Amino acid sequence: MKKRFSYFRWFLFLFFLLSVPFLPIGNYQLHIIIIGCIYAVMVLSLNLITGYVGELSLGNVAFFGVGAFTSALLTLGGVSFWVSFLAAGMVAGIFGSLIGYITLKLRGAYFVIVTLAFAEILRLIDTNWTSLTNGPMGLSNIPLPEIHIPYLLNITFSDKIHFYYLSLGLLLLALYVVYRLVNSRIGRAWVSIRENEDLAKSIGINAFNYALLAFVVGAIFTGLGGSVYAHYMSFIGPDVFSFSITVSMLIMLIMGGKGTIIGPIIGAFVFTALPEYLRIAQLYRLSILGIILIFAVIFLPAGIVSMPKRIISFIKERRRQFGTS
Amino acid sequence: MIEQFLQQLCNGLVMGSGYALMAVGLTMIFGLMYVVNFAHGELYMLGGFFAYYLTALFGINFFLSLVIAILMVMGVGLIFEVFALRPLREQGILTTVLITIGLSIFLKNTALILWSPIPKNMPTPFSPIALTLGSVYITEERIFAIIAAFTVIVCLHLMLQKTKIGKAMRATFQNKESAALMGVDINRVYSFTFALGSGLAAIAGVLLGSVFFVQPTMGSLATSKAFIVVILGGLGSFPGAIGGGFILGMAESLGAGFISTGYKDAIGFVFVILILLFMPSGLFGRKK
Repeated sequence: MKKRFSYFRWFLFLFFLLSVPFLPIGNYQLHIIIIGCIYAVMVLSLNLITGYVGELSLGNVAFFGVGAFTSALLTLGGVSFWVSFLAAGMVAGIFGSLIGYITLKLRGAYFVIVTLAFAEILRLIDTNWTSLTNGPMGLSNIPLPEIHIPYLLNITFSDKIHFYYLSLGLLLLALYVVYRLVNSRIGRAWVSIRENEDLAKSIGINAFNYALLAFVVGAIFTGLGGSVYAHYMSFIGPDVFSFSITVSMLIMLIMGGKGTIIGPIIGAFVFTALPEYLRIAQLYRLSILGIILIFAVIFLPAGIVSMPKRIISFIKERRRQFGTS
Repeated sequence: MIEQFLQQLCNGLVMGSGYALMAVGLTMIFGLMYVVNFAHGELYMLGGFFAYYLTALFGINFFLSLVIAILMVMGVGLIFEVFALRPLREQGILTTVLITIGLSIFLKNTALILWSPIPKNMPTPFSPIALTLGSVYITEERIFAIIAAFTVIVCLHLMLQKTKIGKAMRATFQNKESAALMGVDINRVYSFTFALGSGLAAIAGVLLGSVFFVQPTMGSLATSKAFIVVILGGLGSFPGAIGGGFILGMAESLGAGFISTGYKDAIGFVFVILILLFMPSGLFGRKK
């Protein structure tokens, strides 16, 4: 059995997270951390269906876009951020149930391609439905979130620090929900579907329902992430539906370690920061990422989280060899 | 009305031959190797660019550069198969999808660096003046594209039916283990299949590239179109890919002409979803 963190250590860790904006880091670094948090939420969501249930979804970016646009359109229409935020999650969840209901009847290659098809359709609708989404021009001046409690609090989220706490809060919530789900009967059912679907069915696990649950929970959190992103950037265009976001999420998931809790988070932060620092090699950035993905799949299929284990076993192996020779 | 209809149908035939060539390659790679090749569109783009450089820069005859470009892309496909796909053969669909996505990102962005995003016109020996067939206008290069596509498809069919490697491919397609037991060199068949599929994508790239233009980003849309066609026709189905290619080409042209140009690229995706909703059994030809 794994030893559990004591409450004290959890508290210390939380304290560290809360104090991050006060560490001597620049605005730009804080920006990267915020984007990293949003990506971490999305990759955790993607991990449910792809890492645990074992079906590769290329359509999760659709929920990000839907969440971003729902939230932006509602707040531009005068609705408060917090209502729009919840609405973004709900609308993304509804899209998730619809798309999941259609696509999860298919498995393997069909699922991969059809989820991609849905994301592309939504991108095209967004580009062409100019009266609603302003098409390729996008929506700008998306209002900042506000907390307004009379006589007590009056905050407008005008600083990066506010958004750091907002995205961190969302990440912790997602982490908690994912952790509880994965370490429950539901999580074990997901893994059983991934490992052997026929066997899982034979012991009474309804594979379709469980897979749909993973997909919809992921969709909701991705939509919430989209909402935070929209208000943080204050501008969104059709590129919130772009395939490059899907690719980033995949690289983060695979490089971090799919089917683990901590892997997606590590992957999200490493691969939000890495492309930024690869800006020195600006021109070759994406080419390098492509190469990294190819090599990662061949040489590190279980991701960064598997590295300590692999290094230890490598050293042990070497020791053993030297001992016998 | 009728004239416009015929004209759109004719345009659709050109697009359709490109789609069919792409989709045949894709479906062959999937059917045999169980690899969903996300880099297919980039191989198509490479075909177009190699031919463009051979004709425009080195002044090589268009038909000769067509052949050289195809061979070069087949080489690229072969290298990728041997070094990246072969070690991962038994790894399942997720792994291979990721590695082909990696290849696609790499090829597309390297092409953007090397060749700039500006569209380029490929010089062809064909006359730029359109011919009139009744009320339909068609250029020589379009006629060539259609004829070439049909020729390639017929040759491919003959190769699969009559030659030894074709027989080996069909055997592997039906049952890999039994084929191996009968002395078929599976590694060779896989490499050949991937190279052949890449070559087919390259032909489509040269043909459509000569009709329209070549551009590093032309591959992304082509990949998704090829996927649509393959799903329409059923994954792994050879005639399905050809039929689906022409259906999609026609539907898009007619849709662009009569409904809306903006939603032209969505037509195929809607097709896919409708098919999955109303006739999913047709697609379940081969359950995993």
